[in-house]
Amino acid sequence: MSFIKELSKGIIKDNPIFVLVLGMCPTLAVTTSVENALGMGFAATFVLLCSNIIISMIKNITPSKIRIPVYIVVIASFVTIVNMVMEAYVPALHKSLGLFIPLIVVNCIILGRAEAFASKNNVLMSIADAIGMGLGFTLSLTIIGSIREILGAGTWLNIKLMPITYDPMLVAILAPGAFITLGFLMAILNLVKEKK
Amino acid sequence: MKYYLKLGFILLIFCVVASGILAYLNTLTAPVIAERKAREAIETREALIPGATFEAQSTKDNMEYFIARSAADSTQILGYTFVAAQSGYSSTVQTMVGVDKDFKVLAIKVIDQSETPGLGANCVQESFTGQFKDMVLADLRVDKDGGKVVSLSGATITSRAITNSIAGSIAAVQADLGGEQ
Amino acid sequence: MGYLGEIFVMAMTAIFIQNFVLSRFLGLCPYLGVSKKLDSAVGMGMAVIFVMTLASAITFLINKYLLLPYDLMYLQTIAFILTIAALVQFVEMVIQKNAPALYKSLGVFLPLITTNCAVLGVAILNTEAVRSDGLTAYNFLDSVLNGFFSGVGFTVVLLAMAGIRMRLDMVDLPKSMKGMPIALILAGIMALAFYGFMGFKI
Repeated sequence: MSFIKELSKGIIKDNPIFVLVLGMCPTLAVTTSVENALGMGFAATFVLLCSNIIISMIKNITPSKIRIPVYIVVIASFVTIVNMVMEAYVPALHKSLGLFIPLIVVNCIILGRAEAFASKNNVLMSIADAIGMGLGFTLSLTIIGSIREILGAGTWLNIKLMPITYDPMLVAILAPGAFITLGFLMAILNLVKEKK
Repeated sequence: MKYYLKLGFILLIFCVVASGILAYLNTLTAPVIAERKAREAIETREALIPGATFEAQSTKDNMEYFIARSAADSTQILGYTFVAAQSGYSSTVQTMVGVDKDFKVLAIKVIDQSETPGLGANCVQESFTGQFKDMVLADLRVDKDGGKVVSLSGATITSRAITNSIAGSIAAVQADLGGEQ
Repeated sequence: MGYLGEIFVMAMTAIFIQNFVLSRFLGLCPYLGVSKKLDSAVGMGMAVIFVMTLASAITFLINKYLLLPYDLMYLQTIAFILTIAALVQFVEMVIQKNAPALYKSLGVFLPLITTNCAVLGVAILNTEAVRSDGLTAYNFLDSVLNGFFSGVGFTVVLLAMAGIRMRLDMVDLPKSMKGMPIALILAGIMALAFYGFMGFKI
């Protein structure tokens, strides 16, 4: 498969959130604002990219029986790097994302791609896969985050969008709103797929 | 058996390499983080009681506070600053408080919280924190508990945690200083 | 407040006021994936409670006696997740040997407990948690109990979900809503219901 094709499949056809239904925990937790969504998206994409590269490079020297723990060590290392760098240079974002930064290590997307793709393909293709999945993840997070932030706070990236008279639908940025927003989005996507 | 030992050993090598890289990066980022935290604390103290130099102290229960003396005249005590903390709804809320020498509140700043966005998280806003100015210990309860502090709408737990922690800390520092004199 | 009171607060918080799944968003993948049938949900719930309790215990000890004294906090993520992976592997072997029927019914979801955000989540939360006075950090017993109650909170919601979804199978739903969308909306409504616990002052 060509590089571009690998890359694009992660965005729509095999979208990690809407199609593969992976990485649910951060999806619902960090989409309270577009800023958080983008931050998480980039952090996860960085980890995904780096671990895909390393895992693809070491795939031949990793004994099969311990491959899962080895992948976990690799992924956890990059997550720790992201955590340290974020705490040092973007402390406000680090604070908002909180617990979910270390939880990137158990994000099924990353371990899933490592096992399903990077361990079986060369480095270049693994890079394409990582960028594609990462972009798909970030895009989906941003869409959900946009809806929740606009409805729930009347802003987008902290820019006031709605008129002053708009009373924010607080539930959108609270827990129930997260589930319901995602539920309806998925239903709409199913509808679109059916019509095709 | 030997096979499993070999596997375990390979895993150990990976862990050691990973730990080594992380340890190196830690030496780079840890100082940055520590320096930023210290700087933020100093800046907050200076914003609460402007024009002062601060001297660190601690009470008998190991609570840290700062005596603020006038930068122009070090014999004049302007007041005290300390951090009040209490568990709120979904996190521990930390508030830095500046009081004058009679323990009347000069200003407060919520420095650490992870409360509900749109509800308790609004405690950082001036519309909530501003009301604490000029309050004394007796006023420091939320309106529901008979005090003067107006709670955030929909965030009584957060408001109560902040108010009670400030009251508790003022009492603790006051007792410590009262005892010494 | 006596220690028994502290435990009660912890239990209420973990199960109702800040339910692990509906409020903290931890443990969602198995929640949405396994909750279709009641019996597999029960097995999964029990396994998760067991792993979460044990993981809380071991990670607390690692944190207290290895990471903190030697200033190795940055290794927390790696140390914790490897511990959990090893623990799940161990639990898997034990179940396979002693309860092969349960092993078969849980299938691939047993090793997946490793990637359950709830397990790593509670381990990390325990290291940051303080008691209701806002100051005292959790000790060993607090951490273990918190792990246990969080697991219970996860299981309670999982079972409720499974019960409702089983009945949903008999209802006529628009095709686009079937499966994930209706499960999510259900979870949202449950989360709304649990929001009623928010103002509880214990």
